[in-house]
Amino acid sequence: MRLDGRAFVLPVCLIILAEIGARAGGPSDSIAPPSEVLVAFVGALADGSLLLATRDTLASAFGGLAIGGAIGLALGILLGSVGALNRLMEVTLELIRPIPSVALAPVALVALGFGYRLEIAIVAYASTWPVLLLTRSAVAGVEPRLIEVAQALRLSFPARVAKIIVPAALPRIFVAFRLAAGFALIVAVTIEIAINPLGLGAGLMTAGQALRPELMLAYLLWIGIVGFALNILLVFAQQRLFGRAALVGDIR
Amino acid sequence: MKALLWRLASLAVTAGFVAIWQIVADFKLVSPVFLPGPDRAWAALVHGMVASNLATKLAGTIEHMLEGWLVASIAGVVLGALIGSSRFMRAYVGPTLEFLRPLPASAVIPLAIAIFGFSPAMALGVIAFGAIWPMLLSTVHGFAAVEPRLYEVARALHLSRWQVIAKIALPSALPDILAGLRLGLTVALILAVVCEMIAGLDGLGQWVLLAARYFRSPDLFAGVILLGALGFVGALALDIAERRLLVWRAPTNSP
Amino acid sequence: MNKGSCRAGEALIRFSKVDLSFSDRKILEAIDLEIMRGEIVCLVGPSGCGKTTALRIATGLLAPTGGGVAFDGAPILGPRRDVAIVFQDYGKALLPWRTAAGNVSLALEAVGTPRAERAARIDALLAKVGLPHHADKYPSQMSGGMQQRLQIARCLAQEPAALMMDEPFGALDAMTRQELQDEMLQIVRTTGATVLFVTHDLEEAIYVGDRVIGLLPHPGRIGIELKIDLPRPRDQIATREDPEFLRLRRELYEFIKSAER
Repeated sequence: MRLDGRAFVLPVCLIILAEIGARAGGPSDSIAPPSEVLVAFVGALADGSLLLATRDTLASAFGGLAIGGAIGLALGILLGSVGALNRLMEVTLELIRPIPSVALAPVALVALGFGYRLEIAIVAYASTWPVLLLTRSAVAGVEPRLIEVAQALRLSFPARVAKIIVPAALPRIFVAFRLAAGFALIVAVTIEIAINPLGLGAGLMTAGQALRPELMLAYLLWIGIVGFALNILLVFAQQRLFGRAALVGDIR
Repeated sequence: MKALLWRLASLAVTAGFVAIWQIVADFKLVSPVFLPGPDRAWAALVHGMVASNLATKLAGTIEHMLEGWLVASIAGVVLGALIGSSRFMRAYVGPTLEFLRPLPASAVIPLAIAIFGFSPAMALGVIAFGAIWPMLLSTVHGFAAVEPRLYEVARALHLSRWQVIAKIALPSALPDILAGLRLGLTVALILAVVCEMIAGLDGLGQWVLLAARYFRSPDLFAGVILLGALGFVGALALDIAERRLLVWRAPTNSP
Repeated sequence: MNKGSCRAGEALIRFSKVDLSFSDRKILEAIDLEIMRGEIVCLVGPSGCGKTTALRIATGLLAPTGGGVAFDGAPILGPRRDVAIVFQDYGKALLPWRTAAGNVSLALEAVGTPRAERAARIDALLAKVGLPHHADKYPSQMSGGMQQRLQIARCLAQEPAALMMDEPFGALDAMTRQELQDEMLQIVRTTGATVLFVTHDLEEAIYVGDRVIGLLPHPGRIGIELKIDLPRPRDQIATREDPEFLRLRRELYEFIKSAER
């Protein structure tokens, strides 16, 4: 996407409209003019509360992603390369997958209590799926000729996975991790808003309940920026590592 | 025939997992406070349906999910078609959408509460806001990716603007739109549960949260099972719709 | 229909001083060409000579930057209903979500043919192009040759006075290509349509054409005009062995060779 001047017309108009609208309505408990949001944003950034919350959220998100990604990767490689196992697990996976991640949050709450562990567990569950499914199809889609080469060379199964399958599927596996990382952040914030008193989501909720709309909107803005930056970073990393070819296997 | 046998074997594996779950619970390998066996979860499910208000909660969640999804789908397809078929809109609106897209939809819940209070309107707004993104983006993509040759065919045949939309652009974007509908439904279910948890609206989200608070884990599992079933049925229904609507696709692109 | 008398008549399509340039690059320069009613004119030339561009201008899909094309005396400002276009990339020009019958139907829907009359017309058109038993197949279930036949059927549904064919058989295998050449000639003979036919296959141009126009590249301009007086109906074996065919082929090959240099 190329940015030009036209990209900024709509946001600037919206901000000006919001400023005028919020000022005309007088002081409010639910909305605040953008100028006050900016002041609150700078304040929260200066006293460190925003960055602390960001650290908590990102730690949970990436912790969960690391665990879920590892499980998803291992299962994905296993199911993608052993056809019989894949078919045997079909029904089980089809039944578990539709369970929404937030629905498991109360289960994790009972077992683990509030805190990082609860959030990491749910993020891990949520990010297992994209990694598992995409890795499975990436591995199953490895050029059959390469598998035949591996057989001709009489490589053992671990050697085949390490030397042929994973390198061949790597660009698409990275896409899986990119999508899962975006997912992990969304799930982490959602869990914080719904249940867990931690991180950016909780800060957002607290500001809302304290009837401080300017701080709430500042948090919202920051969450948007963090999500956007993470996305840009991952797309950039993917292009640097694998070139544009990697974007071909992208599944939205 | 062979596929059916595999399917049965796969089902047997699932039954095996349930049996292991039962054994783990029976021998109290995990504390029963955390993990009720499938027998107790099933009993809680039946009891909740018959003697308690679990059915009402299920209906509440279905209602929240479908309402928000429907609003999001209609608005998403219409807006997506407008943006996707117009270069002007893509240049001015596209980047703003790109920025908003990674925003977790649940993050607007406090804002929605501030505006609407703890009401069903709040849930509708949040669910519709969250579920519109997959709809919108995939529709934009579908409309922007119509084969240009087909527009030339339309010009050669003198199709009217309305005919071009109905006969060329919309069917061409249909696979993308269906993918958006599917993703949107998943998002709608998640957000319905979150809204019910936070705002205490009648629904399974509220049910599972209360069950967790009072450590009634069989009730909790009953709720989770119902939510899984709901997601499963939704995906299945869209699967069937997709298979019927997209028969024309070359069979090679199914995995 | 007697071609000789037709050629004596007025031109159906007339290019006058057609220029086309993109920014400062000249694609076509001063193309003057008259195509008579019922005539089959082939455009050939090395790649980059603008033959497809010239055809697109004649269809009205592309506007020239200078000069103009007249159809039946009226200037062409956009695509016309009575001018059908056969695209080379049949895979992209058919609606993949419609069956063969549905694809033909699109042309009938465009002119508002009542629903009740469509089925019979579609059956007749599909039979005419040799697809009588494939009405319910989707393009993805058909071979390349069948898909191109289907596109021709959709074009015939427009009841065109002229067919604009852009390398229509270029993507097909040799056998299918020859079959379709003969079927196309047969259809054109019964309908009396005028044809502008772009191809990179010189033998194909001589085989189907009444006249072959060779273009020179950079910028595209007319370099040679050959009248083809081979007897009709043409025959894949006899025509291609005719000494006149071989003479024309040599002349055209030499022209292209010198044009590419």
